[in-house]
Amino acid sequence: MTDIPRLTSAVASCLRIAISWMSGDEMNPAAVAQAVEDIQGDDRWMSQIWRELFSPLHALNFGIGGDTTCNVLWRLQNGELDNIGPKVTVVWVGTNNHEHSAEQVAGGILAIAQLLTSRLPKTKVVVLGLLARGEWPNPLREKNVAVNSFLRSWLPRLGHTQFLDVGAGFVHSDETISTRDMFDFLHLTAAGYRAIAKPLIDLLLQILEETPEEKRASLV
Amino acid sequence: MSSGDSNPAATPTPCVDIQGDGRWMSLHNHFVSNSKDKEPDVLFVGDSLVQLLHQFEVWRELFSPLHALNFGVGGDETQHVLWRLSNGELAHISPKVVVLWVGTHNHGHTAEQICGGIMAIVQLIKDKLPKAYTLVLGVLPRGKMPNPLRERNAQVNKLVKDAVSSLPHASLLNVDPGFVHSDGSISHQDLYDFLHLTPQGYQAVCQPLHAHLKGLLEKQAEN
Repeated sequence: MTDIPRLTSAVASCLRIAISWMSGDEMNPAAVAQAVEDIQGDDRWMSQIWRELFSPLHALNFGIGGDTTCNVLWRLQNGELDNIGPKVTVVWVGTNNHEHSAEQVAGGILAIAQLLTSRLPKTKVVVLGLLARGEWPNPLREKNVAVNSFLRSWLPRLGHTQFLDVGAGFVHSDETISTRDMFDFLHLTAAGYRAIAKPLIDLLLQILEETPEEKRASLV
Repeated sequence: MSSGDSNPAATPTPCVDIQGDGRWMSLHNHFVSNSKDKEPDVLFVGDSLVQLLHQFEVWRELFSPLHALNFGVGGDETQHVLWRLSNGELAHISPKVVVLWVGTHNHGHTAEQICGGIMAIVQLIKDKLPKAYTLVLGVLPRGKMPNPLRERNAQVNKLVKDAVSSLPHASLLNVDPGFVHSDGSISHQDLYDFLHLTPQGYQAVCQPLHAHLKGLLEKQAEN
């Protein structure tokens, strides 16, 4: 019984291989729903920032540290969408998909967006671009840029879905990322979260103002 | 160093960059270079529980005033901390107290091995900083319900407490304020993922820790 992301993703990849063999067709492993063993709970370690910026929007947070697109898909297919009808769903996942190519990761995110729009007909989906990571340029930065590039071209073809890049400014002119923005060159500090919150909240407010319910209410 | 040969938890080992962005080594290099112009009285070193502490208000409230530095790295096991401290992180500073919090991520190691790893770190600190006091924090319980890792962590704490009992320069402090409820469960209000502390959880741990640290610093000043 363990909750290391590394061990569970090894188990997950064995299961994914098994699923691919059994189904007989060529699947994108990043779009195969896969639970993570033994991890429950939600990633509210930045709850002070959440309370300040997002609670006023009546927001729920279903984030889990270390999750891949497969894990998020599994959670959404196994109850997390059953009792809610959000006007907007914000999706931010993909940086932890270490065993998948950029194209597979983007495909997994697309599968999540498709699932959301089909299960929650009223929702608008906002997909956040993957952030740069690591102190210096490295292959994962390039991979995340490639994922974002796929998403920019694929997402507009889905209805009710848009892409938002919140990563501007994190990579400095000397190509480094600062620990003031990402304390471990991956996870955001409070200052980093405030920086991404601005464009995100602007978009969320815009979408919320546009929803038909609001318009009907204002006509009465 | 004979115990180091047979105990992987007590053999200095850098973290291998599996993911591909070199973050562990970046952080280590930052700690080494940052320490060159700082004169901390307290050094916190360990894993994610130390690293995340630095991101919360409680650090600014309680530990910045004590002139504390934070060398925590998420996921670190005892052998990783041992490597970091052996490779420059103690080279430029002379803290009066080192707070060591590590062991919960040592998966695959026995409680005895983890204790051996912690004691190897205690010995290393004594060798490099002969005047420093090492405060080892007890490893917290984890997981929503009872499980083998809780038993392992409790056993680590017991073994370490025995091992430091004869040492004048080190002690174990139990910082668990009672996270496990009478039904055996841990609340996500204290440990949001049943491993890492919420702000509320950190307050409960840090208030007594802060008081204890102040007492230690005053004693060190008298010597």
